[in-house]
Amino acid sequence: MTPNPRAGARRPSPVRVALLTLLFAVMTVPVYLLLVNSFKSQQDIQNSPFSLPFARISLDHLAAAVQSPQYNVLKSYGFTLVLVVAVDVLCILFAGPAAYVIARSLKRRTQFLLLFFLAGTFIPASALIVPLIYVLRAIGLGNTVTGLILHDVAMTLPVSIFLFVGFIRTVPRDIDHAAAIDGAGRLRTYWQVIFPLTRPAVITVLILNSIGIWNDFISPQILLSPGSGTYTVTTAIYAGISQYSTDMTKVFPNLLLAVAPVIIFFVYMQRHIISGLTVGALKG
Amino acid sequence: MVGLAGLSADSVRVAARSPGSDRSTPGGRRRRLREAALSAGMLAPAVVVYTVMTIVPVIVALYLSLTDWNGFSSAAFVGLDNYARLFDDPDTTRAAVVTVIVAFFGSVGMLGLGLVYALQLKERNWANSFFRTLAYYPHVISSLILGFLWSAILGTNGAINNTLADLGVGPVGFLFDENLAVITLVGVIVWAGFGFNVVLFVAGLQTVPRELVEAAQIDGASRRQINRRIVIPMIAPVVTVAMVLNLVGLIKVYDIVVSLTDGGPAGATETIAYVILTRSFAGTDVGFATAQAVGLMMASAALSVVVTALRNRQDRAAAS
Repeated sequence: MTPNPRAGARRPSPVRVALLTLLFAVMTVPVYLLLVNSFKSQQDIQNSPFSLPFARISLDHLAAAVQSPQYNVLKSYGFTLVLVVAVDVLCILFAGPAAYVIARSLKRRTQFLLLFFLAGTFIPASALIVPLIYVLRAIGLGNTVTGLILHDVAMTLPVSIFLFVGFIRTVPRDIDHAAAIDGAGRLRTYWQVIFPLTRPAVITVLILNSIGIWNDFISPQILLSPGSGTYTVTTAIYAGISQYSTDMTKVFPNLLLAVAPVIIFFVYMQRHIISGLTVGALKG
Repeated sequence: MVGLAGLSADSVRVAARSPGSDRSTPGGRRRRLREAALSAGMLAPAVVVYTVMTIVPVIVALYLSLTDWNGFSSAAFVGLDNYARLFDDPDTTRAAVVTVIVAFFGSVGMLGLGLVYALQLKERNWANSFFRTLAYYPHVISSLILGFLWSAILGTNGAINNTLADLGVGPVGFLFDENLAVITLVGVIVWAGFGFNVVLFVAGLQTVPRELVEAAQIDGASRRQINRRIVIPMIAPVVTVAMVLNLVGLIKVYDIVVSLTDGGPAGATETIAYVILTRSFAGTDVGFATAQAVGLMMASAALSVVVTALRNRQDRAAAS
């Protein structure tokens, strides 16, 4: 944006320096506090929240959180991961073929189906979940993991189908015809020919769904009663912190355990994640 | 399942167009039927799961909202009484006001900061990409966890108030003063969400043609004039879409309220979604809770229709 390319090494304006310093401080301080206070005693957290007293830092509180028998965040990783994988797999299995049929149909009835699915993006989970409980009870899936998985899949279908339809429409029909001449049926054409070509859309959908399901709180909290003893990361954190909200040596290490996998995943995949969520938001 | 029956007829015609099927031979006819059945089978799982888990509950909600039901005994039909109650109930009206405040100021804050930082971070270099990532990271963390973290920082015994106490100031009731708590809630929401707007706007800014900016520079325009007269008008469509996306996201705010303030102090930060899930529903006032839910769905649908209309207009403008 500089008029003269040789001025590229220009000194940044004071406004820019001030804005970026402020950004850096505001975005890093919460993470810094989370990190240092996970290794301090209650007294140190209260007296000097920002300092890191090297002589007194200890892994005990983190170890206690890892070994805690109740609402164990570390243990909840497993169930949450199973949930994420199950929803991802079912979503790809269900949304892909459906999107393929919708994308390739010229009939208005099938196009209407796309609108039918898109209507789902209008419905907030917090409004849907109250009546859903009664529907799940009526079909015998009340308070079951199966019920939660099916609800999560249904929540992911609208945006996934929308993104897939948009992407499949960019794949030339000649490819389908070539596969048909070679004797492949529709289902085989989809899985063996079209599906591999839609890889970018599949990755976007997987990222959107995985982050959404991992972070979801309303659905597991309300569809799985605390009595079931099954916790996701968010419901374990909620149950644990409502219990020990004044004991900061429990709050900080548990929050650190909850945030760590997401931050590691984000740092590792950030380019894909940012572009995936941007596409999801702009198109969904 | 009416849709499915219609679809098979449709698929027959599509299959008839595809090569390899021949209308005149009996083999082609069998093949077409098989293809039609296959299309219906490919649609069925998605349609069935989505219908049972999303559409049926909405219909159930529409019915339950017309009844007085505690969740156990039989439901009594009361017509529109629950909807009339929405406007009389002080908790609901207060929550509606809080929701509108959060959605409006949250959206404005995210747009403003998003625009300011997008203009700073639009060029491609490692420093800008670092700061963009830094602004964005809260977006991938659960709002529930962000709320707990900020409540540990801003609470009476939190890091900020303990530090202020050392300086002989405070305590400041970030979460305990009725007015300040709403401002804190909006602040945390903006902190967590503006990075997403930054990323959207940067994507928009990178489509502004360089030649246009360079031509203006040659004509002697200042950086500020260029931003105001050229850059911002050119990304206006993205800004509009971001604004409505923010609003749609914020009218259903729930998780962060639960963990940051739990609706307090004295209900000052209760949003509509919070009232539905923690008061009406838990209080076995199912009919009323579903009436609130239907109200929220309608507000969300209305905003989404606005998004779609704006996006279509933008697409048409881009196509012309």
